[in-house]
Amino acid sequence: MKTTNPQQRALALFSIPVFLFLVIPTAIVVPVALNDSRYITFPPEGISFAAVAGFFADRAWTSALTASLQSAGIAVVIGVLLGATAAIGLHGRKFPGQPAVVGLILAPMIVPTVVLALAFYQFFISVGMVGSIVPIGLAHAVIATPYVYLTTRASLAGLNPALVRSAQSLGAGALSVLRHVYLPVILPGLISGALFAFSVSIDETVMSLFMQSPGATTLPVKMFTDIQFNLTPKIAVSSALLVSVATVGLLLQVMFVLKRRSSARMLPLAVSAQT
Amino acid sequence: MSNATLAGPRPRGRDSPPSADSTPRRRRSGWWLLLAPILAFDVVLFLTPLGKLVGASFADNAYQRVLEDPLVLRALVNTLTISLVSTIVTVVLGYVIAMVLWRAGNVTRVILFAVVLLPFWTGILVKNFAWAVLLQDNGLVNAFLQGIGLTDAPIPLLHNRFAVIVGMVHCLLPYAVFPIFSSLTSIDDRLGLAARSLGAREGSVFRRITLPLSLPGISAAGLLVFIISTGFFITPVVMGGPGDMMIANQIDYYARQLTDFSGAAALAVILTVMVSILVAVYQRVLKAGGQHEDN
Repeated sequence: MKTTNPQQRALALFSIPVFLFLVIPTAIVVPVALNDSRYITFPPEGISFAAVAGFFADRAWTSALTASLQSAGIAVVIGVLLGATAAIGLHGRKFPGQPAVVGLILAPMIVPTVVLALAFYQFFISVGMVGSIVPIGLAHAVIATPYVYLTTRASLAGLNPALVRSAQSLGAGALSVLRHVYLPVILPGLISGALFAFSVSIDETVMSLFMQSPGATTLPVKMFTDIQFNLTPKIAVSSALLVSVATVGLLLQVMFVLKRRSSARMLPLAVSAQT
Repeated sequence: MSNATLAGPRPRGRDSPPSADSTPRRRRSGWWLLLAPILAFDVVLFLTPLGKLVGASFADNAYQRVLEDPLVLRALVNTLTISLVSTIVTVVLGYVIAMVLWRAGNVTRVILFAVVLLPFWTGILVKNFAWAVLLQDNGLVNAFLQGIGLTDAPIPLLHNRFAVIVGMVHCLLPYAVFPIFSSLTSIDDRLGLAARSLGAREGSVFRRITLPLSLPGISAAGLLVFIISTGFFITPVVMGGPGDMMIANQIDYYARQLTDFSGAAALAVILTVMVSILVAVYQRVLKAGGQHEDN
């Protein structure tokens, strides 16, 4: 940044606290988890893996981790399958009901999660699906699918539909077109979509909270329940695990952006966030 | 199919209407199969639960009941005031970040983008936990305030409205930065150059060129942030006090404490209608500003 005049220097100076405000909370999470103290403090008094060991020795926390990974697995598999097929199915096509179809696909992003949580809570009780991780995974899949659709659609934007037609005119069948024409093009979009779906599911709290049961308590739900009583080292370890996932996602996204050489091509931002 | 369709120039990513002979029959009839899974999934697991929710909200005179509940009214007022304050703070801070990103060189820009995106990727519970650690009585912020001599005893920074707004602004910032940044990048740099060459100072370039031309970005950011704010659930519980509960917490209270489903459903419908209206306005603003919702 060229800081030649006082105004720009003032902007740079004023922006430093704002950037610190953004970074510091995320940056302290891992040091807090490795703090050599029975209490939650920052800055840490020394490095220790005692809290990490304590976390992995605690059945309640490890089963929460397992539950989270299971629900994320369900969300990623369903999200990728549905999001990718939808993006391909809509690629380069115009038909009368199209805006309604796209609207329906994206709609789960704009409904507040607490509303969806209540709706799913009622719905899964009424169909008798309670007490397992499956309904939570399905609920996560509902909100994760639009992300995969959007990332796949973005990677399809550069594919000329004429190429698809030419492959078909040369005798390629539907499966062969999917595999040899679409798959190579959508792969980056699929990967970032899958990453997004994983991240959405692993961090989702409100729906998982409403649908929790003794065998299906996810990591954020366990954190949310415990945090209301005390800030404990195990919550810190759990946070550190989730921050690691976030960092991997972010690094992959930055690499993706650098490769494309354009900062405008950031992944889609949802209208609704996990609040 | 003729080879001309292949060789002819086509706009990137846009399909010109396919002529009848260039579309084999099997493709015409088959592609609906690709949309069937997502449509079936969304009808069963999205529209049906929401439909049942709306249905439940009309039972037992639920709307009248919840709207006469003073707790609900307080939650509604809390939601509006907390969302409004958070939105204003977020947009101002987001504008600063967007300006820096706009003026930054390529390498700096990527690094700063990563800084903006890190909280975006981090789950809300993790962020709120970190803020609770920072804002607690023996936390870093209180230590800092005591260190610079601003106070002798720890100030209660947690479990109040201030903490809720801090936690919310931190979550909301990335959502404000992107619309503003994208409206800033669409400003023609030559306008500023021309103004300066005619003797305008930096302050008046900002006031009379940059700020007015970035207004579409500001209104889009403000609306988006406000929309997201109204649904906050976790932050008021983790960082707020008993008097800071928002509408989402009231839904939870009705559903899980009172086990009053119709009341909870009525509140949920009220929230959804509010949000949907704002989303419709938001999309209008995006269209007017020439931005696209998906990037």
